[in-house]
Amino acid sequence: MNPFSALRSATMGALLAVATLLGSPPSFAQTAYEAPLPAQINTDPDLCAHVACTEVLPTASSFSHRMGKPTYVEGYRDDAGQRKLVGYVFLSTDIVDIPAYSGKPVITLIGMDTDGIITGTKILRHSEPILLLGIPESVLTKFVNQYLGKFVGDKIEIGKARNEEGYIGLDAITGATVTVIAQNQVVMRSGVAIARQVGILKVEPRPAIRYSAIDERLSWEQLLKDGSVRRLTVKSEQLGMPRTAEPYVDMFFGHLNTPSVGKSILGESGYTSLMSRLKDNEHAIFIISNGYDSFKGSGFVRGGIYDRVQVSQDMDAYTFRDLDYLNLWGVQAPGAPSYKESAIFIIRDPGFAAAYPWSLVFLGNKLDRNTGHRDFVSFDSEYWVPAKYMEGGRPKVVKPDAPWVRVWKMRTVEIVLFSILLVGVAAVYAMRDRLTRLSTRKNKWPVDGFKYAAWLISIFFVGFYLLAQPSITQVLTWFHALLFQWKWELFLTDPFIFLFWIFIIVTVFLWGRGLFCGWLCPFGSLSELLYKVGAKLGLKRFQFMLPMKWHNRLKWVKYFVFFGLLAVSMLSMGLAEKLAEVEPFKTTFLVGLFSRSWPYTLFAAGLLGLSIFTERPFCKYLCPLGAALAMPSTFRWFGLKRKQECDSCKACAVGCGSLAIDDKGRIDHRECMLCLDCMVMYTDEHACPPLAQERKRRTKAGLALTPIGADGYYIPIKPVAAATPKA
Amino acid sequence: MVDPRILTEAVHPPYEDKGATRLLAEAWDHIWPWSRSGFERQRAVQAAGLAIAVAATVAWVLAAMGNLTPGAIIGWWFGWSVFEVVVRMGAKPYVKDGPWWGRRYRKASPMDMVCYVGFKNLLVGAVLFIGLKSLGLIVI
Repeated sequence: MNPFSALRSATMGALLAVATLLGSPPSFAQTAYEAPLPAQINTDPDLCAHVACTEVLPTASSFSHRMGKPTYVEGYRDDAGQRKLVGYVFLSTDIVDIPAYSGKPVITLIGMDTDGIITGTKILRHSEPILLLGIPESVLTKFVNQYLGKFVGDKIEIGKARNEEGYIGLDAITGATVTVIAQNQVVMRSGVAIARQVGILKVEPRPAIRYSAIDERLSWEQLLKDGSVRRLTVKSEQLGMPRTAEPYVDMFFGHLNTPSVGKSILGESGYTSLMSRLKDNEHAIFIISNGYDSFKGSGFVRGGIYDRVQVSQDMDAYTFRDLDYLNLWGVQAPGAPSYKESAIFIIRDPGFAAAYPWSLVFLGNKLDRNTGHRDFVSFDSEYWVPAKYMEGGRPKVVKPDAPWVRVWKMRTVEIVLFSILLVGVAAVYAMRDRLTRLSTRKNKWPVDGFKYAAWLISIFFVGFYLLAQPSITQVLTWFHALLFQWKWELFLTDPFIFLFWIFIIVTVFLWGRGLFCGWLCPFGSLSELLYKVGAKLGLKRFQFMLPMKWHNRLKWVKYFVFFGLLAVSMLSMGLAEKLAEVEPFKTTFLVGLFSRSWPYTLFAAGLLGLSIFTERPFCKYLCPLGAALAMPSTFRWFGLKRKQECDSCKACAVGCGSLAIDDKGRIDHRECMLCLDCMVMYTDEHACPPLAQERKRRTKAGLALTPIGADGYYIPIKPVAAATPKA
Repeated sequence: MVDPRILTEAVHPPYEDKGATRLLAEAWDHIWPWSRSGFERQRAVQAAGLAIAVAATVAWVLAAMGNLTPGAIIGWWFGWSVFEVVVRMGAKPYVKDGPWWGRRYRKASPMDMVCYVGFKNLLVGAVLFIGLKSLGLIVI
């Protein structure tokens, strides 16, 4: 087979696939990916004028305006001329602020009937890259449809049901674990918040606080030091506004029912007066604030709700109306700061438990400077009455595991196995000198046995089972997260990719990209395995390597692809994600060759087909991830060994499948896949020409064949002066 | 005769090979791309460099005032990196080979220099960006 015609046809196929891919925008047109939403959707009292509320609450024929805090709308049915309440509709971003994989929330409209049964969910907008091209959006729709008919008070989690613990399991989306975990939180937390507000879910009462006998007067500094007064500062830049010297709001707050705190803040008489106004189970907090804006809100009207602050405890939110407000006439604690604004708010809900942690929440609207949109965003600061003021100290609070912790717990076995694989491969490679000495050019099994095992595990366990194929899109996502909102939780939610990247970063600096690319990349492993299998199946005569001249030209293509993607990602992450389809990873592992439209399948299958005839064509010439890793490989710490004679001897270079050895015998570690074939030759006294020559010379001269040293030569024989015989 | 143990010709940087002196000289090398000999050879490039330095100063002043978008900063970072590659190829055309604590230097090919400058400036840029962002000087 003519290598050029093969390459030409493959290139044409690839270009055709990309052209078709980019030339078929209608498939994206109807999706919710970055779908433009009316700006009023977040603020207009008539929510249902902007979104199709009937789609999520089909039994309703009319809807109220937004009400409550957090807000929802009521849905009514005409029943013999009378309006009958049939359920509620709410917008997820009115209630929770949970970013998905993209760092942005999946904006979801949710319907719930009066019994707390979810009647509908509709994704209005998302920014999830995997759902842009990799996985059809219908899969996400199918996922959220699993909530239909489920009670919001149920314990629902992603994965298998745990019946004995009362957990209902939902089928995850393969390849979009982070997205569905975030979405589960969005739907369940939004549903519970509204169900509690409208009385569907009752709050389980918890023991009332019992104060200890300590009754002291504290200075402001002491109050701050022991946590009796906490601080919540919101800077203007956190709300997308220009930086200002003064923060947007800078609030101090505390729980006034605690005698020592209340008396220190209000004075003895003020405290007594306040307590006399409170009923059992009512609690008062104070807030004093500086900053250039108001925590009460300029739009507050008599009879309305203070819409900028609330108290949250677990999944409950306590808001304040004008009747819950009292004036704070002054702060008695010595050393208290001056302030512009103050308030005492009364929490009247008996569900509030002062003995347990709670948070003061400031609710803001963050301006997106690029789009002009305002997104709901909240800031909070936790408060817990100091232990010394409670009889018996603070009660034990078991906080539920964070979603990423649950994932790590759920997949402990796989994580351990995967970690063993990574550590094992690194350990095997660290012992390469020993293994290559055990091998010969004709028998490379001491090295290849480990390498082939790593390939097989990588393809089937890492690639097809764990779906842990590192990709350039992760690099772009990290870059985006670094710019906009870095959350470790986001990356920890996919433990395999997280661990893989730690491995990649460490080994790239130690040995170069070859250990990942050549031993553990699922697609790379599959590609080279096909090449090896092809040779075994009698296709060796059709297999070819590009001439070095062409290789040296084409190897730069992958760097252009990488820099191109990086540049495009600065302008549009969405477009960069589309173009990142140059990686056939999603098609091969995440979605499946036969589950995607034909251009993707053709592209991936074409690359894999070409791999049968030439070694790793994608890795050498197209892979943007390989290019990204090749660059720091320039500065790897430990390279492969060479002898001076390698400058004229071509024995290793001829057999180098990566074409990483030039005509002077030098190894380019940016291109090297660390197959170790050249290192096997390095110590093979029958294959390495300088060694073979020396072996023959010594044998002829009857000299001993000493062991081969670290420099790749026989250890020199140094004649020792014969001992003088004793007289 | 080519030494196949090193990708390009081995070179000795123009500074003493002694403990702290070498470390300081290396640190200076990372920060300062220019050299006297390179400066004389690349007068046109240096003139362009002066213009870029002025632009960079304006950019950072704007950033300090919170008036520069991240896109502009990244664009400037990219432009500066390209310029630095050109300057270094004339002024300090070498890169380190092997362990970072070692003393093996070799002549830099353009790709070596792209890799070095790109990687170094990525680290510097990340530190600066995160620093400025945490100080509130950049608003996203």
